[in-house]
Amino acid sequence: MKKVATPDYTVADKLKTHVAALSTAAKEVVLPLNITTHYPRERKRQPACFRGFMLFDPERCISCFQCSFVCPANAIWMKEAPSGRYYPTVDHGKCIYCHFCVDTCPGGALKTTKIHDIAFRTMDEMVVMTEDMVEPPAIIREDKVVVDYVIDKEDLTLKRTKEVDELIVEIAPSEGVPMVSVCVDRGSCIACKVCDKVCESGAVSSVKDEEKLIVKMEIDPEKCTGCGLCVKECSMQILRLVRRE
Amino acid sequence: MIDITGLVSTILNNQVNIPLLYVIYEFLLRIPVIGSIVTFLLSIIPVFDVPIIRLLIGFVLWKPMWVLLIIPGFATLGTMLLILPWLERKLVGRMQWRVGPREIAPRTRGSIQLLADSLRFLCQEVIIHKDAHRLYFLQFPFLYFLPVLLPLLFINAGAVDHPLVPIETPYALQIMVGLISLMPVFIMGAGWASNNRFAFIGTVREAFMYFAYEIPFIIVILAMIVLFKTSNTVGVVNAQGSYWGIVLNPLAALVFFIATVMATSRLPFEIPEADQELAFGPFIEYSGIAFGLAYVMAYEKMYVLSAIMTMLFLGGGSGPVIPYLGDLSYGIWFVIKTLIILLVMVNLRGVYPRYRLDQGLRIGWGAMLILALIALVWSIVIGVVL
Amino acid sequence: MENPNAHIDFLESGPLAPFKKWAAKWSLWPCHFITSCCGVELAHAFACGYDGERLGTLNLGIARQSNFIIIEGTITRKMARALQFVYGQMPDPKFVNVIGACGERGGIFWNSYNITHPSDIVPVDFFVPGCPITPEGLLRGVRALQDKIMGVDKTTIDFKKVELPFEEQLEERMIPTSPKLYAPTPEIKVDIKREVDWDFGKELEDKLKKELSGLYESVTITGVNRIAIKTTPGNLMVVAQKLKEMQFDHVKSVNVIQVPHERKFIVEYMAASYRVEELMPVLVTIFTEIGIKDPKLQSLMSVWESANYSERELHEFFGVLFDGNDWMGKKFLLAPDTPDLPLRKEFKIPEERYVFEKGVPPEHMVPIEPPKDLYLPIWEEFIEKAYDSDEIIVPIGPHHAGSGHLRVTFRVKGDRIVDAIPEPGFVHRSMEKLAENKLYIQNIPLFERLAINDPANMNLAYVRAVENALGIGVPERAQYLRTIMAELSRIEAFYYDSGIFSLFFGHTTGFMYCMAIREMIIEALMQISGSRSGPSFIVPGGLRRDIPDMVLELIDNMTFALKRRMKKFESIFVYNPVTVARAKGVGVLTKEDAIRCGMVGPFLRASGVNYDVRKIAPYDAYDKVDFEVTTGDDGDCLGRFLGRLAEIKESVKIVKQAVDAVKGIRGPILSDDILGEYKEAASDIKGNFFRVYGNLVLPKGEWTTITEAARGTTLFTLISDGESNVPYRVRVISPCWMNLRGFMEAVKGERYADFWAVYGSFGYFPPEADR
Repeated sequence: MKKVATPDYTVADKLKTHVAALSTAAKEVVLPLNITTHYPRERKRQPACFRGFMLFDPERCISCFQCSFVCPANAIWMKEAPSGRYYPTVDHGKCIYCHFCVDTCPGGALKTTKIHDIAFRTMDEMVVMTEDMVEPPAIIREDKVVVDYVIDKEDLTLKRTKEVDELIVEIAPSEGVPMVSVCVDRGSCIACKVCDKVCESGAVSSVKDEEKLIVKMEIDPEKCTGCGLCVKECSMQILRLVRRE
Repeated sequence: MIDITGLVSTILNNQVNIPLLYVIYEFLLRIPVIGSIVTFLLSIIPVFDVPIIRLLIGFVLWKPMWVLLIIPGFATLGTMLLILPWLERKLVGRMQWRVGPREIAPRTRGSIQLLADSLRFLCQEVIIHKDAHRLYFLQFPFLYFLPVLLPLLFINAGAVDHPLVPIETPYALQIMVGLISLMPVFIMGAGWASNNRFAFIGTVREAFMYFAYEIPFIIVILAMIVLFKTSNTVGVVNAQGSYWGIVLNPLAALVFFIATVMATSRLPFEIPEADQELAFGPFIEYSGIAFGLAYVMAYEKMYVLSAIMTMLFLGGGSGPVIPYLGDLSYGIWFVIKTLIILLVMVNLRGVYPRYRLDQGLRIGWGAMLILALIALVWSIVIGVVL
Repeated sequence: MENPNAHIDFLESGPLAPFKKWAAKWSLWPCHFITSCCGVELAHAFACGYDGERLGTLNLGIARQSNFIIIEGTITRKMARALQFVYGQMPDPKFVNVIGACGERGGIFWNSYNITHPSDIVPVDFFVPGCPITPEGLLRGVRALQDKIMGVDKTTIDFKKVELPFEEQLEERMIPTSPKLYAPTPEIKVDIKREVDWDFGKELEDKLKKELSGLYESVTITGVNRIAIKTTPGNLMVVAQKLKEMQFDHVKSVNVIQVPHERKFIVEYMAASYRVEELMPVLVTIFTEIGIKDPKLQSLMSVWESANYSERELHEFFGVLFDGNDWMGKKFLLAPDTPDLPLRKEFKIPEERYVFEKGVPPEHMVPIEPPKDLYLPIWEEFIEKAYDSDEIIVPIGPHHAGSGHLRVTFRVKGDRIVDAIPEPGFVHRSMEKLAENKLYIQNIPLFERLAINDPANMNLAYVRAVENALGIGVPERAQYLRTIMAELSRIEAFYYDSGIFSLFFGHTTGFMYCMAIREMIIEALMQISGSRSGPSFIVPGGLRRDIPDMVLELIDNMTFALKRRMKKFESIFVYNPVTVARAKGVGVLTKEDAIRCGMVGPFLRASGVNYDVRKIAPYDAYDKVDFEVTTGDDGDCLGRFLGRLAEIKESVKIVKQAVDAVKGIRGPILSDDILGEYKEAASDIKGNFFRVYGNLVLPKGEWTTITEAARGTTLFTLISDGESNVPYRVRVISPCWMNLRGFMEAVKGERYADFWAVYGSFGYFPPEADR
């Protein structure tokens, strides 16, 4: 345990501390430890992991709804594209840039950029449609210089480089563990076809069992994307996601 | 009947001596076309036997008028008002590891920032809320100009034996003290007319602080009068021929400086206007140009008090004479000295937090009063000995 | 809002138009209207890191002198009144920018019962997205506004529309249902007996049974250091008194749980001790059940003063009447137009939607009527009493240069504060209600927004509660990394508070120096997590991804680099004679008072109580690092301030040790217990996040954890029914909420100007207190 005592100033202490304060101030006027980034003429370089505006790759999307489910702010709503698939739209009037969606996306369809300085005129414009998220958007850039924070054992200093920072992060999209949906108890299947209805890749089909004259559902592992929606919706809870061998 | 011809000759005989102007004039004459234009301009429309332009120039260069209008009068004051808050923001910004205003004019480091601010205040709505005393609310900021600007009439910006003063009177210092003592009354009036809780508290604080600094302030000026054996501003500067007032009586200089900081409500004595506590105290309800005036007035007051300090303690405009500048060189030295005091004063904002009201009062009534009295005794001793 | 562009029209009229426009462009002075946590980033935008003053934007003056409001995040119903009034008070032409998602469509609080949309209340020029925004974003908003003044009114982003891939038309598909599962008739039990290895607990149980014989219905050990005592409403008072005699001297939390289908409320008080060392980590819950109809109970305020404000709050939330608390029937945290009894289960908040439907405007529809009057929490007798005794009433805040988003009504006699009535709730964003409607994992960012300047600790506090319930461990590397993050966050929070402290004294330089130091720490946190002040990085079982060695190197360097700037700060502000004069001997809270008011954290320690959760019940790597608890005896403003500065040094020490340790530890950063079959995600959760965390279900019962956040003990009580994948009830007791009582106690009797000294010394952060 450490005790902290509060100082009790004598007149001499007061004079000393007055002088200390004044001399520190004077020193800073002469040789300031300035750390100002002159935004918008300069821009601070953000790390590659910076969580900013998100880009979307429709090729990789398996339409699993997980980004929408995980979004704490409910900013991601799935919108039906002309092809009938559902793709995410992001409402930047709600988005908190936690990037749970980016971490969630099993196909690696969502990726981060370093774009974060945007001002919208209306709230309606803040709902960014899927079509707008595919290509990197153009933002107003006035910066000619990039500022790096250099922290060494002495101090924080700014390193200025005359270049225009690339805001689009080039990192390989990382996919989740490949999974596939299987039925663990086909005997209990009541053929409600929910799995078929919810499946977007058309992996589920109904098979007539000729012997017992009943219909059972079958999942085609080749077509299954492992989105897990059928597992979630199955009314008998007999579907499981397992690792794709 | 006024003897106008006599007045004109008085004006023309009592001109500021700036050799540089003659040099420029002669140079202009030598250039072929411009020379003849200048000669022509200086000869047209004679009034009272003197060409009008010559008369106008002569009027401005008339010593008292020059002092009142140019240095250290209104022109300097105006420049200071535009430059000083900017300098303050830049220097404090520098002290705080940042930049201060800049993007408005990046090449000149944002030096016209204050122009934008004042223009914005000028074009903004002035709100007079329904509980305010309408007439007083508006008149006090304007009346405030009176005590702030009048002391300029008595400030001597000259050096020893080269007085530069609009009005020479044996009671100059007393009049200035009187005028300065008037200033808080207008602030209190403004606060009272605002009819707002915070304005009220601010007004009360202003009144308390007024007494706390005013007495040491007067005693210190008294000390200097005793020391210089005159209260004529010309005599005051003349008396500092060998030693400046700050050398003769450093204690008085210190007390005067602290009193100035208190009087202008600068940190650490920014008690009546305490931004975080009272949100500008007496000026809380002022908006638009009325607030602009109040904002600027603090700087005017600071300028006037610093000018008095320069005159009393730093030898007025004395300094190495710059060739070709003549009387202007005294003016320049005077402004430089004043500016240094002002910069020190405004930069205290970056160094000190704010005292509490009771602590401010204790400093005023305690340490400062005692120091002021010691300064007075010291002055008497020195005055008698010398 | 007749004409939303009136201010621009005004600028364009008259012969002076070009000058007016130019002057307005370069002289946008925002008024001090801090509304929520984005204010922290606003501070950075105007501090030395970015210096908004370069653009001519100067934070000076209040409504009358400014021409620009930056709405910093959430506008609650209470704040909406203030916003409307402040906007009305400002001279024309005036401009409004909204920063942060909360101020736009509500952000993470979009379905809260207490928030409004600023754009419904005032005309808004620009919206800046983010939560919190970055300083660059804020300045971009200012730039956009400058352009708008000059005549270019456009959004600063241009999207490139792309044709989406068009394959064969898929058949109509079923829309998946919500991932949330609510048990229809959950079984709520707060005293589930658990077999734990806790010898002292057995002793204590016997002792309690002996002391309280005849007064209790059951005494159960519900976990390590947790004991639950069930009693009847009639006996509650006696049990409390007995416990107080046993040195349980304060209440850490008061909680009400509604069980609608059993038509009952469970009311619980969590008592703890500051005086007896072995009792310190123990939380004794006494609870009782009362009927849902006309719920009434005797207030335990007379026994435990620290229950006072919580009882007021729960009265508003649930309608439970605590007989004896003088605030029953009055509004404390909520606004007059907030729905009544919002935390009852009958009160439903809007459901989440997952599909974008054509024709449905993408707006959340909570009907919000712009309020008309300014509600003041004072009543006739109070005013009369004040006038009778020659006092004046001074209300401070929420729009005041030095109030933050808190309103305090003073009765001032001369220069002395006779009485102070706090009115919190200007940032009450109903986290407890929202948490009941979010998945466990979705609550991480939610609770992080308790204190955006102390994010990792808040994050950790919640995650620890979940981990505790699930009984999962954390890999060693992750433990150290979490400790590093928590300590960085602690330093960050303390510097924020110091900055505000110096600002309250009018010392802008101190503020700037603090923000400069914070800028360094934020850089480190950003390198770790990618976000400036909302990392959401700590997840149950570890971290979201591993931290590269380069970043550890940076943190290591930073622990040294901090020193130089800390020294400057100390010489210019901390040991400045004026600071010492202002803070010494002011706002003294004696040890007795501090314990009585249930103070927590550094503010408790400054009053001489040696209590630190990191020592008494160590978590993460705190038992493996060497550090000291700092205490003080004075209990005044200076003591509290210096105490925290001393803690910063200890924190730096911890970070150094942890960085050294973590360099030698290689391995996973996510525990196998939580990952299940997704073992590949052990060093980066990317791609498997929802699969791993989406369907967490906590075991049945009550789970309470205490964590030492920067400003003190943060208590999370999670109540799970064992079936739903959302919490049944979450009770958050944030340090500032606990400190509010002591804060008001310390203000009384001091001078008017001392309020700011006391305020700054308590580091009171309203979003954290209001929750």
